[in-house]
Amino acid sequence: MGSSENLDESRALELSRQCVASKLPFQALPGDDDDLVETGLLDSMGWVDVLIGVESATDIRGFGDTWPEGRAKSVRALADMIREARREVPEEKPGQSSAAGTQGGPEVSIGAWGYALGAVTVSADQIESECAIPPHKIRDGAGIRSLQVAADTEDELTLGQRAAEAALEMAEIPAERIDFLVATSTTFLNLPSFAASLHSRLLLRETSGALDVGGACVGLIYSLAVAKGLLRMATEEVALVVASEVHSRRLNAPQVPGEFRGLFGDGACAFVLTRAADRGGRAAVRLGDFVWGCSATFASSLGAKWGENAGVTVQFKGEQLAHAAVTQMDRILEVLENKSGRARTEVGYFALHQPNPRVVEILAEKAKIPLERIPLPSATGGNLGSATCGVSLCQALTDLRTRPNPPQPPLIFMAAVGPGLIWGGAFLI
Amino acid sequence: MRELILSDITVMGPGFCVIGLERVAQDAFRSVRPVPRRGNAWPETFPFGRGGMVRFIPAPTSASPPHLEDQNTHGLLSAGGCVGEAELVDMLHKAEVSTDLEKLFGSELHTDTHGGNAWVDPGSATRSICGCEFKNIRFRVFHDAGEVTLRARLVLQSGETLNSLPVVDRDWRRFLSDFIHRSSESGVSPAPEGFLNRSIWGKLMRAPWRFARIGLARGKPMEGKCWLMLDSLFPQPKTEWLSGP
Repeated sequence: MGSSENLDESRALELSRQCVASKLPFQALPGDDDDLVETGLLDSMGWVDVLIGVESATDIRGFGDTWPEGRAKSVRALADMIREARREVPEEKPGQSSAAGTQGGPEVSIGAWGYALGAVTVSADQIESECAIPPHKIRDGAGIRSLQVAADTEDELTLGQRAAEAALEMAEIPAERIDFLVATSTTFLNLPSFAASLHSRLLLRETSGALDVGGACVGLIYSLAVAKGLLRMATEEVALVVASEVHSRRLNAPQVPGEFRGLFGDGACAFVLTRAADRGGRAAVRLGDFVWGCSATFASSLGAKWGENAGVTVQFKGEQLAHAAVTQMDRILEVLENKSGRARTEVGYFALHQPNPRVVEILAEKAKIPLERIPLPSATGGNLGSATCGVSLCQALTDLRTRPNPPQPPLIFMAAVGPGLIWGGAFLI
Repeated sequence: MRELILSDITVMGPGFCVIGLERVAQDAFRSVRPVPRRGNAWPETFPFGRGGMVRFIPAPTSASPPHLEDQNTHGLLSAGGCVGEAELVDMLHKAEVSTDLEKLFGSELHTDTHGGNAWVDPGSATRSICGCEFKNIRFRVFHDAGEVTLRARLVLQSGETLNSLPVVDRDWRRFLSDFIHRSSESGVSPAPEGFLNRSIWGKLMRAPWRFARIGLARGKPMEGKCWLMLDSLFPQPKTEWLSGP
């Protein structure tokens, strides 16, 4: 047995132990070969919960639906089942470049990036005053020192354009080289759509595609996934992915709760994706696997309805939303660990959605990840919606590019949650 | 003597846990869980069915949250009547109901895994049974050599979902057993999940009422969690559904 198989076995065992331990929080973990049901440690309901826990952590669908006759219901048997299921569906793993590069198409890398924030700085004190929020709630409660909001001359298009032009400049390619644009914006409600409007603004060539993707705060991750898929299956070679939001205008309505409005800033981010890996002098990173889902159990924690004259009604349960966001993001990290085969301790950067910095701090503590590995644009810019994890990623990539001895290959986890509660994640290597 | 109309009969170990509706006003009911003198479950020989009317003499009870509907009794007697499913569902609409998750038990719901069942903090929940209409349902069957376990996902009116609810409804569990037994007898490898999610799902979706009663399990000592269960699912399964589409 090779060393990588040994590693897989130990990871599978560890994962199985974790899933069993979560159902036996006040008991010592049994031996790996003990039958959990026969020994009475778990009843059939608890055993099914363990199976669902493994399924959730590994993303192996239908895990344990039919448990083989004669096989013990033990930690080791769970690990064996995980490894058997994994062998049936090989996955993309960091460090396995040949397998990763050839399964389902060629590699797709982020070669360049850029971001733009609203030009007007609003201090926490101003936000609290303007939004009728109790003093210090934004600065100390949410951890936001200031917001960056759009100036009168700025909107989703101008911010998106600035971010895209910065990315194209870094990529040293003209706009005509872009084969298609994938764009996302929750606050842009016009027709022509955001992608079509930005396509025109950037003067992309007429035979270049313009595709809008939804997803609110998860929109950028969905857009990257769509772009990666298109690049892998089509003949196109270069994609531009843009997320842009101007919350300050859309949420500037009396019926929107101040404590909600006061969390949001305006900003955009852009990424140039290429089909061929370029690890030359630049710190290009390859897009690994994506994960996603929709946990509607928490759907009511956040909702918005756009009415006539662009009025908006917001349903916002702050504490419930924060709790759900932290829980979901921690789970995404767990799924990414298992998808990538790499522990979170090995991750160089976490590019995360940031409802506010305080939520990120709570997540970091819960997920046991160092806060300094999470670029935190929300501390000075606010929640930028779909652009938040993108700006965080831009800051991580820039740090990676400029630091003297960057880790090779770099490893970045992305995670975001949005209304629904939809969630998505990706690893970059 | 107090009188109940039995609304929920759920599998609990080798016996059954039951809940009935007690009329509190002309157009209002509340759930009462008659509890036998020993343990929480009635024996497997429990003679009554859903809709059956029973009478009982209450005994001193120390109900603890969230199972505040508990009412000890020395036994149940037949009151000699029975209401049909349509009438029972109508009564259930006039008892504890919610259109969203937060109001089910007056307490925040938590989950431990993606797609896993939800639980509530026993100390913060204000009741242990509540009804809700559902917009859609999917079943999942886990089976091994010894046992078949039925779980369900529900979408409530609010659009919120409940995942992996253990189905403890006695009659749905019997229905599943009957299906597997019939399939095995006829030499066909049973595929209960497909059967439930196609043929039976269609019947549920076309039914004039789609109503579920969600209950809370009794938390295990130290765990601090009361897991949700699907206590009753209406429409109830019909024997003729086993015969085909």
